[in-house]
Amino acid sequence: MDMIDPTVVELSRFQFALTALYHFMFVPLTLGLTFMLAAMETVYVVTGRKIYKDMAMFWGKLFGINFALGVATGITMEFEFGTNWSMYSRYFGDMFGTPLAIEGLMAFFMESTFVGMMFFGWDRLSKPAHLAITYLVALGSNLSALWILIANASMNVPEGTHFDPETMRLQFDSFVKVVFNPDAQAKFVHTSVAGYVCASLFVMGISSFYLLRKQHRQFAARSFRMAALFGIISTVAVITLGDVLGRMDYEKQPTKIAAIEGLWETSQPPYAPWLLFALPDNEKQTNYLEIGVPYVLTPLITHEFDKPITGMHELQNEAEPHIRSGIEALSALKRYGQTHDQTDLDAFRQHKEDLGFGFLATQFAPGQDVTNISPDEVNKVVEATKPAILPNVFVVFWSFRLMVFLGLSFFLLFAVSAYLSLKKQLERNRWILHLCMWSIPLPVLATEFGWITAEAGRQPWTVFNRLPTFLSSSTHSVTYMAISLAGFALLYSIFIAAELYLMFKFARLGPDEHDTHGTSALSHNAAAPAAH
Amino acid sequence: MDIYTILKLIWGGILCLLMIGLALMVGMDMGVGTLLRFVGKDDAERRTMLNIIGPHWDGNQVWFVLGGGAIFAAFPTLYATSFSVFYLVMIMLLFSMILRPVAFEYRSKADSTRWRASWDWTFLISGFLPMFIYGAAFGNILSGVGYHFSWTGQYYQDSSFISYLLNPFVILCGLLSVSLSVYQGGVMLMLRSNDPIYSRARNFSRIAGVLAAFLFAAGGVFICFMQGFMLTEPVNTAMPANPLHGQHVARAAGAWLLNYSAHPVLWLLPVAGLASMICGSALVTLKKTVLAWWCGMSAWIGVIGTVAAAMFPFLMPSTTKPDQSLTLWNSTGSLYGLTCMLIVSTIFIPLIITYTSWCYYVMRGKVSTAEIANDPHSY
Amino acid sequence: MQFLRLAGLAAVLVVALLFAVFVGDQGPWYFAWVIGTVMIILISGAGAILFDAQETASDDQEV
Repeated sequence: MDMIDPTVVELSRFQFALTALYHFMFVPLTLGLTFMLAAMETVYVVTGRKIYKDMAMFWGKLFGINFALGVATGITMEFEFGTNWSMYSRYFGDMFGTPLAIEGLMAFFMESTFVGMMFFGWDRLSKPAHLAITYLVALGSNLSALWILIANASMNVPEGTHFDPETMRLQFDSFVKVVFNPDAQAKFVHTSVAGYVCASLFVMGISSFYLLRKQHRQFAARSFRMAALFGIISTVAVITLGDVLGRMDYEKQPTKIAAIEGLWETSQPPYAPWLLFALPDNEKQTNYLEIGVPYVLTPLITHEFDKPITGMHELQNEAEPHIRSGIEALSALKRYGQTHDQTDLDAFRQHKEDLGFGFLATQFAPGQDVTNISPDEVNKVVEATKPAILPNVFVVFWSFRLMVFLGLSFFLLFAVSAYLSLKKQLERNRWILHLCMWSIPLPVLATEFGWITAEAGRQPWTVFNRLPTFLSSSTHSVTYMAISLAGFALLYSIFIAAELYLMFKFARLGPDEHDTHGTSALSHNAAAPAAH
Repeated sequence: MDIYTILKLIWGGILCLLMIGLALMVGMDMGVGTLLRFVGKDDAERRTMLNIIGPHWDGNQVWFVLGGGAIFAAFPTLYATSFSVFYLVMIMLLFSMILRPVAFEYRSKADSTRWRASWDWTFLISGFLPMFIYGAAFGNILSGVGYHFSWTGQYYQDSSFISYLLNPFVILCGLLSVSLSVYQGGVMLMLRSNDPIYSRARNFSRIAGVLAAFLFAAGGVFICFMQGFMLTEPVNTAMPANPLHGQHVARAAGAWLLNYSAHPVLWLLPVAGLASMICGSALVTLKKTVLAWWCGMSAWIGVIGTVAAAMFPFLMPSTTKPDQSLTLWNSTGSLYGLTCMLIVSTIFIPLIITYTSWCYYVMRGKVSTAEIANDPHSY
Repeated sequence: MQFLRLAGLAAVLVVALLFAVFVGDQGPWYFAWVIGTVMIILISGAGAILFDAQETASDDQEV
C-alpha cells in the first residue's frame, strides 16, 4: 500500500523553508538596489557629474556580488516544486506553473540579459542607452517578484481555478483573476517596497561606515542622502501595504489572522486588546503571560469599531461540517475514478467545495484512507482533524510581531536620518551613523519574518483550503531527504561565507581610486575644496 | 483534429525547441566552463575565456530556468513526476548549476591563487556535470523509468536512483551531450579570442565533434535493439490530462523505430545530426568558425529531433506500469492553460531572441587580455 | 520625420493612458506601485541635486 511518511513531509517542509528563506536574504537587496542604481545613474545623466557615475558603479559592484547568489538560489526554487512537491505540482501546476513560466519569459530573461550589459556596457553604450538598460534591469527584477508573488498569492487566496474530477487536479480558468488577485497586488507592492527599504539601509549603513572613518566623504554623503529619502518613502509604503494585507487575511484567511493575533476566543469589539506579548500554546489551545493594549485590535484589523474577529476555537468548530462533507467528497471521488458512474459524480459535486478538508482528514485515518471507514471512525477522524486546521500559533504570532516592531523602528530611523542628512548634520551626530551601520541586516531579517508569518500562517495547506501540505510532498525516502538537506546546508554555508568575505572586502576598499578624481573634479564648482 | 490536440502538439514542439535552445545556449557556456582548466594555462588566459561568455552567461542560463518553468506550466504532470523520480540526480544537477553564477561573479574578485583555483575546479564541475546529467536524463527516459500513480495522482517510485546512473546507454548519452557542449564552447572561444586560446580551443572542438558523431552513431545502434514503448490501441488524443486512464502501452525491442518505419522521412533527422557533427569538425579544422557555430546548432537539432521522433508521443514511459506512461496526450495542462501560455510565449519568445541577439551584437569582437585587466567590472 | 515622431509620441501616450485606465481599474495597487516607484526615484534624485546646491551655496564643509 502506498503510504505517506510524515517525517518526509516535515523534512521537505524544512528544506523548502531553508532554501526559500536563504534565497530571500539576497532578493530584497536586488529589488531595491537596482532602482537605487537607476536613480543614481539618472542624476548622473541629468547633471553630468562623474561622482554619480562612480556611485552607480560602486554600488553596482556590491549589487553584483549579491545578485549572483540571488540568481543561484533562485534556480533551486524553480526546481524544488518538482523535486520535492510532486503532488502539489501536479495538482496545482496547471495554474501555478503559468505565472512561474511567465516570470521566466517576461522578467528573468530581461533582468539576466541586461545585467551583463549593465556591467560590461559602460564603454560600449551611450549614456542614455546605458541608463535605459539599468532601468530595464530594475524593472525586470521587480517584474520577476511580481510573477512570483502572483503565484504565491494563488496559494494563499486561490483564484481562477476549479477542481476537475476528470483530471483530478485544479484547472486554470481565469488569467485575469489570477493576475489581479487582490492578495497578489498587495503582496507584490509590500514585498517590492520592503526590498527598497533593505537596499536603502544597506547603502546608508555602508556610507555611514565611510563617514565615521572620514573616508570618501563626498561620495558617502551623497549616497546617504539619496538612500535616506528612498528609504523613508518606502517605509511608509511598506507599513501601509502591511495594513492592507492584514485586512485581506481577515477576509480570506481567518485562521491566519487569528493565529497572528493569538486569538483563541472570538474578539469582543471594541474593547479587544492587541497583544504586545504572549506565549501561545497549540497543545493547550491557550496563551500564557498575555500583555495587551485594549481597544486597538478591532480598528487595527477591520478599520471599524464593531466587527468581531473570529477566534480559533470557533474556527475549529466551524470546520467540522466541512471536514465531514470533505470526507464524503473524497469517497465519492474515489468511487467515480473507478466506475466513471454519473451517480458518484453527482455525489461528489454535492460536496466538492469541501474536498480539501477531506484530503486534510486522510492523515488521521487508519491506513491514510478516509474513503472506507465506519461512522465511529469518522467521528474520531473529524475530532483529530479539527485542531489540525490551525497553523503553529507561536511561530506565526512572534514572527509577525518581530516584523512589525522592526518595521516601525525603521520608520523612526529613516525619518531621523533623512532629517539630519537634509540639514547636513550627519557628522555631528555620530550615533545615527553607528546605528545605521549596525542596522544593515535588520530589514532583511524583517522580510524573513514577514515570509514566515505569511507561509507558516497558511499551514496546514499548500493551497489554502484546497490541498493540505501533508499530501503535497514527493514520496521520497528519509535517506534521500537527508542527503539533499546535508548538501544544501554545506553548499549554502560556503556561499554565505564567500559572499560575506567579498562584501566586507569591497565595502572596506570603498569606491575605486579613480573615483577620487571624480570627487575632486567637483571642487571646481564648489566654494569649498573637496575634503580628501 | 480538435483544438486541444493541436495545442498539445504545438506544446510538444515548443518543448523540443526549449530543449534545443537550452542545450545550445547553456551547453555552450558549460563547454567553456569544462574547457577552462585545459585551454587556459594561466590566470590571464582563464579570465579572458570567462569574459568571452561573461556578458551573456546569465541570460543564457535563463533558458534552463525557463525550461523548468515552461514544463511546469505546460506539462505539470511531467514536471512533477520526472523531477521527483530522478530526485538525487536532479539535486546533483541543481547543486552544480547553482555553483556557476557564484563562480562567475566571485572568482576574479579576490587575488589569492587558492581562491581562484578552487573556483576553476567549480567551473569544471558545473560545466561537465549538468551537461552529463542532461544527456543522461534523455538516456533514462528512452530506457523507461520505474514509477506508478496512486488514485489521487500521487506518484510512487519503483526503482532506485542508482539504476538511473549505472547503465551503459545512459552514460553514453551523457557523454554525447558533454561532447556537443565542449564542441560548441570551443567554437565560441575561437570566435572571440586570439592565440593561444584560439588554437587550443580549436583542437578540443575538433576532437569533440568527431567524438560526438561516434557516440551518436553508437547510441543509434543501442536504440535499434533496446526495449521501446508503443501504444497498442488507438488513443483519444483530446483526452483529459490524467495518466490513470485511457492508454494501453506495450514494451517491445526496437519499438522506438516504429515511427521511423512509418515515416521514413524522419531518417533525415539523425542523418542531419551526424552530418553536422562531422562537417562541424571539418569546418573547425578549416577555421570557418561562424559556420562551425551553426553546425553545432544543427547538430543539437538533429540529436534532440531524433529522440523526439523516436519517442513521439511518449514523454516519460513507465517500465513498471506501462499503461500509466506519460505521453503528450495525458500530461499537459488544460486547454485554457495551454492557450494562455501559447499567447504569452508568442509575444515574449521573439522579443527575447531579439534583445539577446542585440546584446551579442553590442558585445561583438575579440576579447583581449589587456582590456580585462583595465575593466573594474570584468570577471 | 517630424510627423512620424509626433505620431510615435501620440501612440506612446495613448498606450500609457490605456494602461493607466485599465490597471488603475483592475489593479489599483499595481498602479500605485508604478507611480510610487517613479516618485521615490525622483525624490531621491532631487535630494542628491539639492545636496549639490547646498554644497555650492555654503562654505560649510560639513556633510
